Amino acid sequence: MTAAEVRTPPAVPARTGSRGPSGVRLAWLHLRSRRVPAGVLALAVCAAALRAALHWHWSFNAGPYSQQIPMIIEAGAAAAIGVTTHGPFGEAERATGRWLPWLRLGAALALTGLAIAALQLGVTGASLNGGILQMARNVIGITGIGLLCSLVTGGLLAWTLPMGYMAFCQYALLEAWRAPWTWPVRPPTDRGAWIAACVVFAVGLLAFALRGARTRLTDDNA
Amino acid sequence: MTTATAFPARRPGALAMIRAASLALTGRLMRLEARRNAMLLMLPPVIVLFWFDGYRTAVTLPPFWALRSMTVELYGVLDFAPLTAAAAAWIGTRDRRRRVTELMATVAWPRWTARLASWTATTALAIAVYLVCVAAVYIATARQASWGGPLWWPVAVGVGTVAAACAVGFAAGALLPSRFTAPTVAIVVFALFFATLHPLGASPYSLLSPANGSLGVNLFADIGVFYPYLPDLAIVQLMFLAGLTAVALGALGLPRDRDGRRLRWLAAVVTVAGLAATGTAIGLVGTARLDSHDMVVIPAVHDAASDQPLAYTPACSQGAIPVCVHPAFRAYLPPLTAALAPALAAVAGLPGAPVRVTQQATTFYLNSAGFQTPRIDAVSSGNPPAIGLPLGIDAGSAGNPSQVSSALGQAAPAIMASVVGSGGQLKTPAQMAVAAGLLKAAGVPLLTPAEATAGTGPGNGALALPPGSAIYRAALRFAALPAAVRHAWLLRHLPALRTGHFTLTQLP
Repeated sequence: MTAAEVRTPPAVPARTGSRGPSGVRLAWLHLRSRRVPAGVLALAVCAAALRAALHWHWSFNAGPYSQQIPMIIEAGAAAAIGVTTHGPFGEAERATGRWLPWLRLGAALALTGLAIAALQLGVTGASLNGGILQMARNVIGITGIGLLCSLVTGGLLAWTLPMGYMAFCQYALLEAWRAPWTWPVRPPTDRGAWIAACVVFAVGLLAFALRGARTRLTDDNA
Repeated sequence: MTTATAFPARRPGALAMIRAASLALTGRLMRLEARRNAMLLMLPPVIVLFWFDGYRTAVTLPPFWALRSMTVELYGVLDFAPLTAAAAAWIGTRDRRRRVTELMATVAWPRWTARLASWTATTALAIAVYLVCVAAVYIATARQASWGGPLWWPVAVGVGTVAAACAVGFAAGALLPSRFTAPTVAIVVFALFFATLHPLGASPYSLLSPANGSLGVNLFADIGVFYPYLPDLAIVQLMFLAGLTAVALGALGLPRDRDGRRLRWLAAVVTVAGLAATGTAIGLVGTARLDSHDMVVIPAVHDAASDQPLAYTPACSQGAIPVCVHPAFRAYLPPLTAALAPALAAVAGLPGAPVRVTQQATTFYLNSAGFQTPRIDAVSSGNPPAIGLPLGIDAGSAGNPSQVSSALGQAAPAIMASVVGSGGQLKTPAQMAVAAGLLKAAGVPLLTPAEATAGTGPGNGALALPPGSAIYRAALRFAALPAAVRHAWLLRHLPALRTGHFTLTQLP
């Protein structure tokens, strides 16, 4: 083998050319490596569960208690988005993937939008207390918490903080707390609650896009 | 060399040594599992959540053992079960996550045994912390309570719930390992508990949820004070939880791993036993009904001796007409005595005046909407009459003894009726006018019929009289008299008034 042979770029496999633009393929591979298709399925299940909860009256019809079950399902959707932040390639991917921040940003944004759309589709024709505004605010804010959590715990454990926050908000709901950072218990048009949820989401999204989820899980020794 | 010499018979002590070694190995495995367990990371947030939610809620309630025990059961279950179940699911997915499933299949220990050891260590950690949290509430209660003792059935249900949640979560994680398993388990457990927080009227099967305690959603301060706590529901819930745990753990041993046929048979037997226990519990809870003291009765496990009231020596105030309360409510005696003083002073010394006012248990009835509703009217009984007064304090607002201020509105109508009425009933217009006048003078607002229809009941006023009616005007006249004049008039005319020989025009 000569040096010239080594420097010759390997032939491009014939099949790759027929699979559309490389950007689309890159995005698809990124999403698949994060189990995003399964995450989309999880969001659909959340939407169906919300529909079932409203249809069969698993929750109270009015008053603060009526937010309990929807809040749980919204947190579930946010947790599903959170766990899709985990990638299997770790440092190797970070060292080579210059499009990674954009891919992360796009995936998180798309999944959040999809979650809101799916849940809204689930409650179409039913009466969701607080309406789409409150549901969207909850999903946005709790997803932000999940993205922030993924920076600390790793993507696979990014559900822990959203779950804990949701459990805490159940208490805040019964105690009728009014602080903006407990946005799930505030009315749909409350400006402070919207600001708090959006700030958390923006910070979480930005930090996640730039840094990515932690590759080494916090319970690696467990 | 014969076969006998090649494999000598075991000495009697050898078997014991093997067992001891096996036990030591199991203990070592458990220690390893406990030391390197992800539950350790989940428990601090759970403790914080319990402190915020369960502890703070429980210690703001009045220090009545039954009330606080059942409150801790409810909040403990809601705070612990979903998150510990999710942590157990996370631990269940460990082999798959670390890609050591095949490696683990080659170790000497049966796969089922190793998984049970992992579940046991995980559950033991969660239960230990749960018990510490319950102990914190119980210690605070022991320092404040003036009567009674701790209830252990709610604690047992809480422990059973944590164990079952960990078993279900662990089985889900081990059998369906995925990154979505743990959050899904948390969401499902959360949703199940909150969806079953309904009153009995919704469905008796929702009572299988440990989040329902023993009461549905109505908590009154005197629950378990006058009548013993009924463990019927706790027994059935424990049966259900034990069955659920057995099904989940048995299912772990069913897959075709390299475990022998005997172990798989054992796992199958455990699963079937669990299903039987679960089915029995579901069948039993279908027969549940609420008794008049807001406790759940399940006939098959009910002990009739529990229906007898608890014996106690009441705490009484000094005075012409003493006011007596249950010793657990001793702190409420001074404000209650002060609240009733105007009504009691108006009738003290009159013939037929009540000999005492005694606190009695709150009783409940199902209203037309199917909800348990408390009866908070005072009742007069005996001759000379004694007034029975259910304080009817809602647990949520019972932290402050001044909550009994509405007792005047509850008790005064019965007090006046027992003095002025015929056999405790107001039958003639004159009797109504005098009773209303006495109530007005004692500071009890007179309700209009519209207000009475709107549900403004005892505690806020009494006697639905149309304003401007003859009875109403006579009542206002009587109330306007000086107290000494009223008292003297009653001393002189009370026998005739009771027999119904007085008309409105004869009133002063």
